[in-house]
Amino acid sequence: MSDLPANILVVDDERPIRRFLRASLRGHGYTVLEATTGQEAMQEAAARRPDVIILDLGLPDMDGTEVIRQLREWTSVPIIVLSVRDRESDKIAALDAGADDYLTKPFGVGELVARIRVSLRRAVKTGDEPVFEVGDLKVDLAHRQVTVNSLAVDLTPTEYDLLRLLVRNAGKVLTHRQILHEVWGVAYEAESHLLRVNVSNLRHKIEPDPNRPEYILTEPGVGYRLKY
Amino acid sequence: MSRLQFLESIGLVALATLLGLPIRTLLHPTNLVMLYMAAVVIAAFFLGRGPAMLASFLSVLAFDFFFVEPRLNFALADTEYLVTFNAFLAVGLIVSSLAGRVRLQVKALREREAQVEALNDFSRDLTAALSLDTILNDVIWHVSQTLGREIVVFLAQDAALERRAATPDFKLDESELAVARWSFENSQVAGLGTNAFPQSQIRFAPLKTLRGALGVLGVRPGTAGQVLTPVQGQQLEGFAYLAAMAIERALLAEQANRAQVLGEAEKLQTALLNSISHDLRTPLVSIQGVLDSLLEVEEGGENAVQLDQAARLDMLENAREETARLNRLVENLLDMTRLEAGTLKLRLEPGDLQDVIGSALAHLNDQFGSRPVSVTLVEGLPLIPMDFVLMEQVLVNLLDNAVKYSPPGSPIEVSVACQDNQALIRIADRGPGIPSAELEQIFSKFHRLNRPGQAKGVGLGLSICKGIVEAHSGRIWAEGRSGGGSVFTVALPLERATGKGREGRT
Repeated sequence: MSDLPANILVVDDERPIRRFLRASLRGHGYTVLEATTGQEAMQEAAARRPDVIILDLGLPDMDGTEVIRQLREWTSVPIIVLSVRDRESDKIAALDAGADDYLTKPFGVGELVARIRVSLRRAVKTGDEPVFEVGDLKVDLAHRQVTVNSLAVDLTPTEYDLLRLLVRNAGKVLTHRQILHEVWGVAYEAESHLLRVNVSNLRHKIEPDPNRPEYILTEPGVGYRLKY
Repeated sequence: MSRLQFLESIGLVALATLLGLPIRTLLHPTNLVMLYMAAVVIAAFFLGRGPAMLASFLSVLAFDFFFVEPRLNFALADTEYLVTFNAFLAVGLIVSSLAGRVRLQVKALREREAQVEALNDFSRDLTAALSLDTILNDVIWHVSQTLGREIVVFLAQDAALERRAATPDFKLDESELAVARWSFENSQVAGLGTNAFPQSQIRFAPLKTLRGALGVLGVRPGTAGQVLTPVQGQQLEGFAYLAAMAIERALLAEQANRAQVLGEAEKLQTALLNSISHDLRTPLVSIQGVLDSLLEVEEGGENAVQLDQAARLDMLENAREETARLNRLVENLLDMTRLEAGTLKLRLEPGDLQDVIGSALAHLNDQFGSRPVSVTLVEGLPLIPMDFVLMEQVLVNLLDNAVKYSPPGSPIEVSVACQDNQALIRIADRGPGIPSAELEQIFSKFHRLNRPGQAKGVGLGLSICKGIVEAHSGRIWAEGRSGGGSVFTVALPLERATGKGREGRT
């Protein structure tokens, strides 16, 4: 990570939310930029080159998903979406359009800051690191080895592909469609049962308690995320 | 009077003659007259005035011809018989006319009786009829049966007359409608056979009540121009009167019913508003209180309260818990609104129950505190068609209740079993349990267990659970638990119900 404080662009048309985000993010040592519309957000993103963008989907001038799509044409800056709970389809659309993460309103500042840190870490990470570790789980991508508590875990090829995809995107929310597309192929994007079964099997193999998973986290109605 | 009756009266005279011939020698001729008198009286009572008068004349002639000397011709040997003849004729004619009048009266009485009977039948049927439609059907049936005419009923609807019922193919033209309106507006009979608009082909009788006319009853003869007899006219008015009373009763009942429904909706709304305003405000009060106090501490000033760090932390945690509570309430209100508006669309996809349960538990992690929460799943559980997000909401509500209604530190047990092609998800607590009388009611909207100090919700959670589970073609119920506590069971079909209109968006 660089020594300069990270720039965070907050895009939200609600003044109270911008106000509280500005205060708490500054408190955590970030520099805060603000935008209230989609147009403004894209101008600011181009002019100021923020390190992370926090984007509300309900903007007055255009849909947040469209903002993501247009930003993704030229930048891979991490985008964290803020959304209200009852629009799962909007979240999926935003993630499929290229958002890295989303948070449900209302959200805790602690959670937001944690997600920002993950995004920043993912962004500065250059090149693929061959070994991923979280908790007792260790995935060695170079040797195709998965261990829990130093004990080797035997995975089927599909389970391994699934885990590898999650590891490569650790901390990022992957939608069902994205995972099915990457692991099984375009033709299987609607076959969500394949994903359910494999996630369940994977959990039984790597989670300490599959009833209350710690590593592979479910994003209800949206997808999965690997703890990072 | 028909020709047959005259022939019958001739027959009666012939019969008297035949009876008299064999006993002619035994009796004085003047006594034989009594036979003819009997024939005349019988004719008078049974055949009417005309045939009786004919019988009187014929009797005189037959008596003269067959019994008075010289027999078998009309000559009179004894002129004394002229007195007999005249007296007989006079008595015969008087009896005829008296008997005729009695006959008419009997006939009128019979008609009257039939009329009263018809009205009674009508009245009885109307009393039994509860709905306006049944009443109108009864009116049409009885009036058309009794008067043998085509019937139409108009009822007032917002100051206009609306056709509500009629015998089949009853057609009216504009001018007849105008007569109907006149009859309604003036509360008087009108049309055929009355003083008002007698050229009309229909007679209208207003359906009069104490509060004015409700409408009109129209009758049209089967053959054009056949006017109702005065008796039938009265009968029509009698029918109209009874019909008006019954219709008024039905209308009042409808009104009362509507008022009751409105009243209940209002009560429900008031309950909702009370609960919501209470439940929305209570957390806000805490949050505002915490913020005010902390602001005061920060601002200092001479009267500033001193709070140590532990107290500040406690206040802040309290505010955060209250915010979570507020958020759950809003979620439930939104879900309820969607359920009620019918806009809640299920997104059925094969779902992993273990995953849903895990998600729900993660959602409530902060609330469990030190409680032991166990999850037991049957082996080899298949994927089940469900809307993941909504099913998670069901489990969150049930788990949230289990936490709310059982003592801190007591265990919560979640288990899943398969039975009869259903997955049974059970959530059990060790709380005080639910009174058996309330086991079903708790799933209705705004029902809250009446326990002081514990009511912390609008009473929407369980009714939302029920709505969601039933949308999945499943069932939800609560039971007591041996050893104390309650068990909530959600039963979901293992396979998607076929023939249901709900399809998942993919």
